[in-house]
Amino acid sequence: MKLSAHYNKASIIISVSVLLISGVVYYLIINHIARKQLDSDLSEEISEVVDYVNRSGHLPKQVDFDEDVTTFVKTNATHFETAFFDATYNNAKEKRTEEGRAVAALIKVSGQGYIVTIVESRENTEYLIQTILIITLALTAVLLGVMVVTNRFVLNGLWKPFYYILQQVKKFNVADTDKINTIVSGVDEFKDLSEAVATMSARVTTDYQGLKTFTENASHEMMTPLAVITSKLDMLIQDEQLSPDQFAQITDIYSAASRLSRLNQSLLLLVKIDNNLLNDMEKINLKLVILEKGQQFQEMINSKNISLEYELENLEINASKYLIDVLINNLFSNAVRHNNNGGRIEIRLSGNKLCFQNTGDEKPLDREAIFERFYKGRNSDGTGLGLAIMKNICARYGFQISYRLNQGMHCFLVEFA
Amino acid sequence: MKLLLIEDEQSLRETIEKYFSEEGSICETCGDQKTAIQKIAVYNYDCILLDIGLPDGDGFAILEYLKTTGKNECVLIISARNSLDDKIKGLNLGADDYITKPFHLAELKARLMAIFRRKAFDSSSTLSYDGIAVDLLGRTISVNGKAMVLTRKEYDMLLYFIANKGKVISKNAIAEHLWGDEMDMLDSFDFIYTHIKNLRKKLMELSGKDFFATIYGVGYKFA
Repeated sequence: MKLSAHYNKASIIISVSVLLISGVVYYLIINHIARKQLDSDLSEEISEVVDYVNRSGHLPKQVDFDEDVTTFVKTNATHFETAFFDATYNNAKEKRTEEGRAVAALIKVSGQGYIVTIVESRENTEYLIQTILIITLALTAVLLGVMVVTNRFVLNGLWKPFYYILQQVKKFNVADTDKINTIVSGVDEFKDLSEAVATMSARVTTDYQGLKTFTENASHEMMTPLAVITSKLDMLIQDEQLSPDQFAQITDIYSAASRLSRLNQSLLLLVKIDNNLLNDMEKINLKLVILEKGQQFQEMINSKNISLEYELENLEINASKYLIDVLINNLFSNAVRHNNNGGRIEIRLSGNKLCFQNTGDEKPLDREAIFERFYKGRNSDGTGLGLAIMKNICARYGFQISYRLNQGMHCFLVEFA
Repeated sequence: MKLLLIEDEQSLRETIEKYFSEEGSICETCGDQKTAIQKIAVYNYDCILLDIGLPDGDGFAILEYLKTTGKNECVLIISARNSLDDKIKGLNLGADDYITKPFHLAELKARLMAIFRRKAFDSSSTLSYDGIAVDLLGRTISVNGKAMVLTRKEYDMLLYFIANKGKVISKNAIAEHLWGDEMDMLDSFDFIYTHIKNLRKKLMELSGKDFFATIYGVGYKFA
């Protein structure tokens, strides 16, 4: 639920209950005032009756009381407290009974005591109260309507900067160079928020760029010492006085140096993919690339007595030739490297799906973890970056890459977009 | 062959100098841009090995200098950056080839020989060594006048060995030369052995001489 809806809900509940309570209070007060008014009218009538009796010496006639209903009852009581009470009023003209207010008092006419009762209709006050109630309700309804509309338009307008900031934060990608813009808003809180978000994103971007530059520089800086190691080894083996044991050690150093160099190149490649530095695009016939790579791997495939089967349809994709080369290269490299002697590789390209299947260790691999950097199988002597690179290349072009174990064969499936 | 090596890393400079000057060619060295330009201004070289990252400015300035003064030395760029932009820039400024660190000395030598041959002989395109004659344009080989048929890999390998004649070449260097360094080599180099064995047999059949010596597990020597 949106903040404005929460706000609407709260303000409507509060204002409706305040209006209802005040309506009840209002009703009671008006009722009370109206009753007081009637009572004072009735007292006046009584005093008029007393005046009349004192002046004329006999009881007044009914007609003298306009519409009020008056009764006189003889009594022997010498003492009677004047009382006001609710009563029914007989409207003779309209032939119905109405709510009424009555007063009873003792008067003396020529020594004879009478209880005089005057009943007055409350119709008029009832009508007044009803009118007031309707006006109050109408005002309440109008007020609520105005509040809802105000909340919707004014509040939404007020929150616009907030949604703009939110939109930018959602779109924010640390690898992009787009900055988050600060906004112009009359609301201090939003201005602060916007500045804080902009500062934070700028800092994150700078840190990220710094880290990437660092990775790149570190990798480049390692190339020269590596070149020194390799060339010194090349020089060292020219000395034929060395013993076979020393040559064996040199061979190990060669392997380590070339592995380090590959690791470095893989790290650099990852940085380049992340940085979108390889953004050449061309139409690539995937079938041709696969056949060409297969040719390059032929010796390695033969040396492990692996049988290679193709089932390729034509597929053209738009991508960087270099990255697609790397992708296919790594697929082949994994399929050969982790294969058994005398194993099998099946490559199927149909529709927009490319499937590399190979025999190997019978245990399935961890479907998620294998794509993480430096995840390596127990017997792997690779860099641990091959699959991470493949995943990044696929992510770059919106391709899907997944792994599953299919009838004892490890299957890597790439779905091209 | 007279060679100028411009490289700021001292130990690398010494090693390359030693590898290249062992067979009568002269290899001069320097470690910065200023000295390099002074040397180029005074002397003529056949080839220049140029490291792009120098302490007093990048090596592109040297390429520009060569271009403006109309000198046509062969230039092989050595770079720590495997950057396509740098490569294109270097080649556009008149460099002949581009090699990325780390590299094998044998690879460096083979590349240098290739560009040197291209420039020095222009139209003439025969390379010969001890009865082996290679027609570089036609990619054909004859041994003692008799034609020899080689596969593409064997042909590349023979050129590589001739460029590094008398030197021990490691299996790593051979594998990287023939399959490229992004191939992610398997640990065993058995398949190299197969190629060498075939090449050795073909050469022996035609010349009666064994050109190859196996140096323990580490590599081969061609002489």
